[in-house]
Amino acid sequence: MRIFGALRSVISSVFRREEMEAEMEEELRAHMRDRADDLLRSGLARAEAERRARLEFGGYQKFKEECREAAGTHFVETVMQDIRYALRVFRKSPAFTAVAVLTLALAIGVNTGIFQIFNAVALRPVELGTRGRMLSVYQDFQVLHPPLHRNVHDSVNLFSYMEYTAYRDQNHAFSGLLAYVPFVEVTLAGEEPKQLLGSLASCNYFEVLGIRPRLGRAFLPSDCAAEGSRGVVILSDETWKGAFAADRSILGKTISLNHVFFTVIGVAPPGFAGMELARSAFWAPVTMQPAIHASGGQRPDMLADDDLSWLKLIGRVRGNLSDREVLADLSVISARLDRHHPGAVSRLTVSTPTFVDMPDSRRIIVGIGRVILFAVGLVLLIACANVANLSLARASARRREIAVRLATGASRRRLVRQLLTESLLLACMGGALGAALAFWSFTAILNHVLSTMPAGFPSLNLHLSPDVRVFAYLFGLTVITAVAFGLIPALQATRLDVNAQLKEEGSAAQSRSPHSARTQRFLVGLQVAVSMVLLVLAGLSLRTLYRAQTVDPGFAIQNLQALSFDLGTENYTPAHAAAFELELIDRISALPGIEAVAQATALPLGNSHFGTSAEVPGHTGERNVELNYVSPNYFTTISLPIVRGRTFRAEEVRTDARAMIVTEAAARAFWPNADPLGKNLKLNMFESPVYEIVGVAKDAQVSHLGEAHPIYLYLPAGPAEQTDLKLLVRPSTGFEVSQKLLRSVVAALDPTLTGDVHALSDYLEQWRAPARIAAELSGALGALALLLASAGVYATVCFALSQRIREIGIRIALGADSRDVMRLMLWQAMGPVLMGGLIGMVCCSGIVWGLSRVLYGLSSYDPISFIVAPSFLIATAVAASYIPARHALRVDPMVALRYE
Amino acid sequence: VGEQAHILPGTLDLLILKAVSLGPLHGYGVLLRIEQISRGALLVEQGALYPALFRLVRQGLLKANWGTSENNRRAKFYELRAAGRKRLRQEEDGWNRLAAAIAAALAARSEER
Repeated sequence: MRIFGALRSVISSVFRREEMEAEMEEELRAHMRDRADDLLRSGLARAEAERRARLEFGGYQKFKEECREAAGTHFVETVMQDIRYALRVFRKSPAFTAVAVLTLALAIGVNTGIFQIFNAVALRPVELGTRGRMLSVYQDFQVLHPPLHRNVHDSVNLFSYMEYTAYRDQNHAFSGLLAYVPFVEVTLAGEEPKQLLGSLASCNYFEVLGIRPRLGRAFLPSDCAAEGSRGVVILSDETWKGAFAADRSILGKTISLNHVFFTVIGVAPPGFAGMELARSAFWAPVTMQPAIHASGGQRPDMLADDDLSWLKLIGRVRGNLSDREVLADLSVISARLDRHHPGAVSRLTVSTPTFVDMPDSRRIIVGIGRVILFAVGLVLLIACANVANLSLARASARRREIAVRLATGASRRRLVRQLLTESLLLACMGGALGAALAFWSFTAILNHVLSTMPAGFPSLNLHLSPDVRVFAYLFGLTVITAVAFGLIPALQATRLDVNAQLKEEGSAAQSRSPHSARTQRFLVGLQVAVSMVLLVLAGLSLRTLYRAQTVDPGFAIQNLQALSFDLGTENYTPAHAAAFELELIDRISALPGIEAVAQATALPLGNSHFGTSAEVPGHTGERNVELNYVSPNYFTTISLPIVRGRTFRAEEVRTDARAMIVTEAAARAFWPNADPLGKNLKLNMFESPVYEIVGVAKDAQVSHLGEAHPIYLYLPAGPAEQTDLKLLVRPSTGFEVSQKLLRSVVAALDPTLTGDVHALSDYLEQWRAPARIAAELSGALGALALLLASAGVYATVCFALSQRIREIGIRIALGADSRDVMRLMLWQAMGPVLMGGLIGMVCCSGIVWGLSRVLYGLSSYDPISFIVAPSFLIATAVAASYIPARHALRVDPMVALRYE
Repeated sequence: VGEQAHILPGTLDLLILKAVSLGPLHGYGVLLRIEQISRGALLVEQGALYPALFRLVRQGLLKANWGTSENNRRAKFYELRAAGRKRLRQEEDGWNRLAAAIAAALAARSEER
C-alpha cells in the first residue's frame, strides 16, 4: 500500500510538471500574440509585428528556464539529471561501484539484521490482531519513609489480585482490563509427561484482547467466580497440535496439569501464543493459582496476598483517550490504594504492549540492545570511512572534470549536490542489497543460534518479518551513511583553484592536494582505530569463551547425572518423600557401574538458589549467604574436598542437627583470623537457628559460574528437606549411566512422577551459552571489521602509489635502491595505521574496563587479546600495503616516467 | 518614443506588485500597466516579467488564476494577496526613503566658493 502511495505521488508530480509546462508555454505565447496584435493595430504589417513581438520578448528559452527555476519545478528535473549522470559515472567505473556497494551492503546488512532482531524482541508491539488501542499498565513505588512491605514475584512493577480487581472495577478509561501471569510451569500428565509453560489469566482475557478461540469457547466470568472453582483450560494451537494431535474431540476432555484436573474448553487460534517472548502453551483462570501451585499439602495463595506483585495488566482504551487521560483516571484509584501502604506512593506508567514493556526489564534489554547496536554501528563507520576514502581517491582523479564544470559556470552548490546524489545512490544500492542480505540471512542465523540453545529453552514468539520500524531504520541508516561518506569528499573535490587546475593540464590530475591526502590518512587512521576496538573486543570475547569452556569449576562435572522431581507438587509428605528417596537411592545404587548417589536441595550450577543472611552470634556484620542442604556423601560424589574438619555424620542428617560445613571463603569472611571449627553461626531465617561449624569445604564455583569464592554454607539434608531433594548420580570410572535407565527406575517406583534427568554438564552449558553467543557475534563482527579495514588500507595504498608511479620511476632511474624505496612507501603507508591502532588501543582499554564489570571472566588486560589482535591487524595492513608497493616497484622506470 | 530608462535591478518586483495592486492583471497587462503608470518612462524587458511573476506567486505574494481576457482569450490573471499588499507597503516605504536620501545627497552643493 505504502509503495503504491509513494508511486502515485511521484507520477502525479510528473503529470503536474507537464501541466505546468503547458500552461507556461500558453502564457508566454499569449503575451507575444497580444503584443503582436497591439503592434498590428499601430500600423505594422503582420509579419513585421510578430517579428518585433518576438524580439521585444527576448530569449524565449532562457526565460522559460528561469520561470521553471522560479516556480520550483526545476528541482525535480535537476535531481533526475543528477541521477542519470551518476548512473553514467557508475557505468564508467564498475570496479569502484562494485566495491563500494558491496562494502556498504555488508555493513548496512549487519546493522539492519541486528536491529531486526532487537526490534522483534523489544520494540515491536505485541501482535494482537485487534482494532483499538491496548495499553500495558505498570506501577512503581516511591518510598517516602521505609520500610515498604511488598512481596515480589518477578518484579515490583506488577500488581496484586486485590489491586487488579480495584483497577478493573473502578476505572473509566478502559472498556476492559485484563490480568495475567506468564511463565507458569506445569507438568502435563500422560504416557510421557510433558513440561509446559503457560499462563494464568483473568476470565476477560480473550474478550478484552478480542480473540476468539478456533475451537470451543473463551472463559466466562463464572470460570473466575470463586477461588479454584472451575478447572477449565484453553490450549494454544501449538499444544493442541503437538500434544493432542489436533484432536477435534478434545473439547470437554479432562487433562491433568500439576495433578489438578482441567477441562479443555477451547483452543486458541493459530498465531496467538500470548503476549510474552516465550510462547504460552495454555491459559487457565487466574483463580486456579493456589491449586496449580500446591506443593507438599500446602497451597500458596497468591490471590489472597494484597501486597504481592505478580499480575501483568493490559487494558483496551475506551474511545480515543490519550495516555495522559488514561493515567489521570487510573491515578485516582492508585491514590485510593495507597492507603494500604502508608509511607509509599505508587506511580503508574502505561505503554504500548511489547515483549519487554515492563520498566524493570526494559531498562536492561534496551541497554544491552544499545551496546550491540553501537558495536555493529562501528562496522558501518568503518565501511563509511572506507567508501569515503575510495571516493576521495576517485575525486582527485576527477579534479579535471570538476574544474572544467566549475569553469563553465556550474555553481559549487550544484556540484556538491551532484556528488552527494552519487553518494546517496551508492548508499541506496548498498542499502537495498544489504536489506536483502539481512532479511534473508538473519532468520536463518537466529534459528541456528536457537537450535544450539541448551535443552529446556522455551520456544519463542518472535516475528522477524521487517516492519515500519525496520524499514525506517534501514532508510535512516542509508541516508546517514550517504552523508557520512559523501559529504567530505564532495566538499573537498569542489574546493579547488580552477585556473591552476586547468593550466597544469594532465599532470595536475595526478598531484593531490595536501588537504585531500591528509583527509585520506585521517580516514585510514579512523578505520584502523575502530577495527582495533572491534578486533580486540572480539579477541577478548573469544578468550572469554575459551576460558568459559575450559574453566575448572572446582568439582567433578563429567558423567554426573542429576535427577530432580518436585515431590512437593506431587503431594508427597516429608515422611513419604524420605521413604521414596531411600528406596530410589537403593535401587539406583544397585545398578551396574554406579559409584555414588548423593542428595542436595540445590544442584551445582543449577537453577535454584537458596539464600539468606548470616552472622556470628555476638558480632555485628550480616553477610548474604547461599545455602544447600546435602547428604554426607555429597562432597565425595562431586569430588569436592573437605579441607578441614569432616563431613556430616549419619545421625546429624537423621536428626536435622545444627551442624554446618562452610566454604573457605565463608570461613575467611566470618572468622578472618581464627579457626572456624567449633564456632557458631546464626542464620537469619525462621527461628534464627545457630549452627556449629564441623568442616570447611574447598572453594568451588558451585553456585554461579565465575564466582570462585562464594560464601556458601552446607547444612545436613534432614527430614524437613526431604520433599525438596534432588539426586546426583556418579558412575564408576569407565562407566556411563543412561538417562533412560534412570527415568525407568523412577517410573518403576512411582509411575505418576515426572523425573527430570539432566547431565550436570547441561547446567554448565547454560552458563556458557550467553558468553558463547556474545563471542560468536563479536567474532563475526571483528572478522567483518578486519575485512573492511584491510580492504580500505589496500585501496588507499594502491591509489596513493598509482599517483606516485612517476616519482618512483624517477627515484629508481636515478639509482635509488628498490629496497629503500619500498621501505619509504611502507613507512608512509603505515604512519596512519600505527597512529589509528594506538588510538584504537587506548579507546579499547577504556571500553574493556567498563565491560569487565558486566561480562563473566573478562579480564580487562588480557595480554593475549591485546597483543594478538593488534599484531594481526598490523600484519594485515603491512600485507595490504606491501602487495601494491611491490607491484609499483616492478614497473619499468621508462614506462613509469611516461605514465600519465 | 520619449526618454526611457532601464529599471534598476531589484525594482521589477516592486513595480509588478504596484501594477497588480491596482487590479488583477494578466502578464501582458502588467507590462502595459507599468508603461502606463510610469508614463512610458520605464523600459521593462518583456520576457523578464515572467520569472519575476512566477517567483512572486511561489513566495505567496501573488495569486494566479486562469480567466478570460478582454479580447475573449484564456489568460492567467495575477492578483495581490494580503502578504503581497504588506510587502508592497514595505517596499514603497523603503524606496521612498532611498529616493529621498539620494535626492538630498545629489542636491548638496559645495559650500566653499
